[in-house]
Amino acid sequence: MGPAPAEVVGHKPLDGGWGWMVVLGAHISIGFAYSTPKALSIFFKAIQEDLDASYSEIAWISSIMLAVMYAGGPVSSVLVSHFGSRPIVMVGGLMCAVSMVTASFGSSIVYLYLSIGIIGGCGLCFNLNASLTIISKYFLTKRPLANGLAMAGSPVFLCVLAPVNQFLLGQFGWRGSLLILGGVMLNSCVAGALMRPITPPPVPSSGAPTKNGDQPDKRNTKMKQRCMKKATKFVDLTFFNDRGFVIYLIGNVMYIFGAYAPIVFLSAYAISQGVEEYSAAYLLSIMGFVDMFVRPGTGLLANSKWIRARVQYLFSFAMIFNGTCHLLCPLMKSYPLLVAYAVFFGMGFGMVFALIFECLMDLMGNQRFPSAVGLVTIIECFPMLLGPPAAGFLVDIFGDYKYLFFMCGGVIVTGGLFLFIMNMYNYHMLEKENLGKTRKPNPTSLENPDGANNSEEQMELNETKGTETNTAREDPGLERDKETI
Amino acid sequence: MAASPWEGEGGEVRRCSERRQKPSHAEDRGTTAMTSSWKQQLVQVLLVLVSCGHGDTKTAAPTPTPLPPVTPLKQDAKSAVLTGKNFTERVELSSPVNMTLSCTWKGDQDKPPNITGHWRKDGQEIQDSRVTVMLEDENYKLIQVFSVVSEKDLGNYSCVFGNEARIDFILEVLQMGEKRDKPVVSYIRDFVVMTCKVEENKPIPTTWNWYTSNGTDKEQINTTASKRFKIVSEERETKLKVKDLTLDDAGQYYCGAVYPIGTSVGQVELKVITFMEPLKPFITILIEVVVLVAAILLYERSRAKKDSAEGTQTNAEQNTEPQGDDKGAEGNDSVRQRK
Repeated sequence: MGPAPAEVVGHKPLDGGWGWMVVLGAHISIGFAYSTPKALSIFFKAIQEDLDASYSEIAWISSIMLAVMYAGGPVSSVLVSHFGSRPIVMVGGLMCAVSMVTASFGSSIVYLYLSIGIIGGCGLCFNLNASLTIISKYFLTKRPLANGLAMAGSPVFLCVLAPVNQFLLGQFGWRGSLLILGGVMLNSCVAGALMRPITPPPVPSSGAPTKNGDQPDKRNTKMKQRCMKKATKFVDLTFFNDRGFVIYLIGNVMYIFGAYAPIVFLSAYAISQGVEEYSAAYLLSIMGFVDMFVRPGTGLLANSKWIRARVQYLFSFAMIFNGTCHLLCPLMKSYPLLVAYAVFFGMGFGMVFALIFECLMDLMGNQRFPSAVGLVTIIECFPMLLGPPAAGFLVDIFGDYKYLFFMCGGVIVTGGLFLFIMNMYNYHMLEKENLGKTRKPNPTSLENPDGANNSEEQMELNETKGTETNTAREDPGLERDKETI
Repeated sequence: MAASPWEGEGGEVRRCSERRQKPSHAEDRGTTAMTSSWKQQLVQVLLVLVSCGHGDTKTAAPTPTPLPPVTPLKQDAKSAVLTGKNFTERVELSSPVNMTLSCTWKGDQDKPPNITGHWRKDGQEIQDSRVTVMLEDENYKLIQVFSVVSEKDLGNYSCVFGNEARIDFILEVLQMGEKRDKPVVSYIRDFVVMTCKVEENKPIPTTWNWYTSNGTDKEQINTTASKRFKIVSEERETKLKVKDLTLDDAGQYYCGAVYPIGTSVGQVELKVITFMEPLKPFITILIEVVVLVAAILLYERSRAKKDSAEGTQTNAEQNTEPQGDDKGAEGNDSVRQRK
C-alpha cells in the first residue's frame, strides 16, 4: 500500500524551518499549562479573605486544576489525533480564558472550583497534550532540543507570571487580576495559530476519513472499524504490553510522587532553619531561574550523538541526581548551603523535565505518542496528588522536615535506579530482538543502539525508516493496523 | 558580685527585632523573682520617689504611701547596656505593669568616680530624678521603676548619664504583627472584607474597634447605624465587611485592638475601582491576540497560495500526493476540496 509506508515513515519531519515557530508556540502553551496553577497561589490570600475560606479549601483550587489537567490526558489525545494540534490548542486557550473570566465574578469557593479548577484544568490539558504531540510531528533528529526548549516554557512563564500577578493584585484586586489573566491566557490561541498542521488531521491509528482521497471505497469500512476502535482508544490498555512503556511508567510514577513535595515545603523548611521569609521565597526563584537554562541545555545535551541513542540512561541519571539532592538537603543548615541546594535542585528538576516527554517519544515513536502521553498523564495524576499531602503528613508526625526530604529523595533515587537497571535490560532485549527480526534489510539497525558508531546521516536514515530504539516494535503495531484494513 | 539579674539576656547592644522574637518577659520575671525579696524594699522606696516625682494622682494619695491602692501590678524589667552614645529599646506592653528599667553604661575614656544621671520621659526631664551615680565594676548604673498604668504612661523613657550617653526605652502598646502595605482593592457594588490579626504568642485584646478616617480624625464605625458595615470579631482576629461599596468608601481604615494599657492600631487601605479599570487592559490584550492570530493565519494562507500556485505550474503529480510541505502549508478546506 502506497501511502501507508509513507505515513509510517512520517512525511520526513521538518527538523527546522517553521518547526522553530512551532517550538515557540509549544513553549508558550506548555508554559501556561505548568505555571498557571502555581502562579495562581499568589491570589489565594486575597480570595481567602473575601470568600471567608480556609487555606486548605483555597489550595484545592490548584490541586483540582492540576488533577484535571493530568486526568484529561486520554480525552485530549483522542481529540488531538482526530483534529490535529492547532484547533485543540486554540480551544484550550479559549477555555482557559473563559474559566478565568468567569472566575473573576465568583462569590463562592465551589464556583471557583468549577471555573478555575475544572474548566481551566481542561483548557490546560488540551494545551499540554497537543503541544507535545506537534513537537513529535515536527522534529526527529533535533527532537530532544525542541523538547528541551518547549519545556523551558514552564519556568520562564512562572518567573514572569509571579511578579506580574503580584502587580495586578495590587492594582486591580483579585477579581480584576483574574480577568486580565484570562486575557493573557488567550495568547495560547496565538500559540495554537503557530502550530501549523503538517499533515491533515487523520493519523492511521484513529480514523477521520479525509486524506486518502484515492481510496474512496475503503473509506466506509475503515470508518466502521475505526468507530469500534475509538472506544478502546480512550484508554489503550495494549500499551501495558509494551515493556519499555511499563518501565517508563513505573519510574515516572515514583518520580512524580517525590518531585513536588520539596518545592511546596522548601520555604517552610528554610524558615524553620532560621532564614528570613523573604530570602526563603527567593530560594524558589533561584530554583526556577536555574531550571530555565538547564532545560534547553539538557535538550542540547540529549541531542548529541553520544547520548541520543541512550537517552533513557541520561533520564535515569537525572532522576538519581535529583533524588540525591533531596537526600542531602537536611545537611544544609545555613542560607548559602540552601542556595546551593536550590541551584542543584533546579538543575536536577530541569534535567528530568526536559527529558520526561522526550523519553516517552523515544520509546513510543511518533504514532503512538499521543495516546501514550494521555495514558501516562492520567496515571501520573495519582502520585502528583498524593505526594505533597503524604510529605506534609510526615512533617506533622515527626515535626521535622528532614524525613520529608529523606522520603522524597529515597523514592526518586529508587525510581532512577529502577529505570537505569531496567533500561539496560530493555536495550539488551531490544538488541536481541532486532538481531532476530531485521536481519535482512537493515544491518545498520544492529548498530543503532550503539549510537556512537552512527554518523548523522546514517542516524537520520535509520530514524526516518522508523528504527529508533523501540520503533522496531512499531512496525508490528502498524502491521496490525494494516491487517484490520 | 554576680552579674545583676536585670541584665537578663546578656550585656550586648541588641536590635529591637531580635528582642521581639524572644519572649523576654518570662525570663526576666523569673530572675527578678529570685532577688525580689530584698529588691522589693528598694522598689518600694523608689516607687515612693517616682510617684512623688510623677505627681501620679491615680494612686489617689497625696502623701507618699508605700503602695498605690490598686490591684497589685505585675512586675517586669528591662535592661540594656550602652557601649556607645545612644541605644534604643522598644518594649511592647499590653496590661498595666511596674516596669523596672535599668541602664548600664561602660563610661567614657576618662571615668570619673561620680557622674550625674537622670531620667527623661518623652524628652522632658523627670523631676527629682537626678542622682549621683558611682562607678561600680567599671560601670555606671541607673535603675528606676515606673508604674505604667494607662496610655499616658507610655512613651519614651530615657536614662541619661552625664549629658550625652543615653538609652531610650520606648514603651508602647503591643503592635500588630503583619503590616499590610498593599491596599485592598475592590469594586463598586461589590463587598470587601478587611482583616486584622494578632499573632499567636501575643496576648488577646479585650475588644476590637474599627475606625474610618474622617479628615484627620478617626471616627469609630458604628455597625448599628450603617447597615453596610459588619464587624465580626474573634479573640485574635477581627473582620470588617463592607457591602455595596461606593467610590467614597475608599481610604484608610483602622482596626484598634483594645488592651488594658491602651489601643493598638493597625491600618488597612481600601481602594475602590470601577469595573472598567481591569476591563481596559483585558480588551487591549484581546485585540492583540486577535490581530496576531489573524496575521499568522493570513500569512500561512498567502504562503500556501504561493506554494500551490507554483506547485500546479511545475509538477501536477506532486499535488495529488498526500504529504509534503505543500499540503502542510494549506490548512484550508477549500484547497483540499480542489483536489
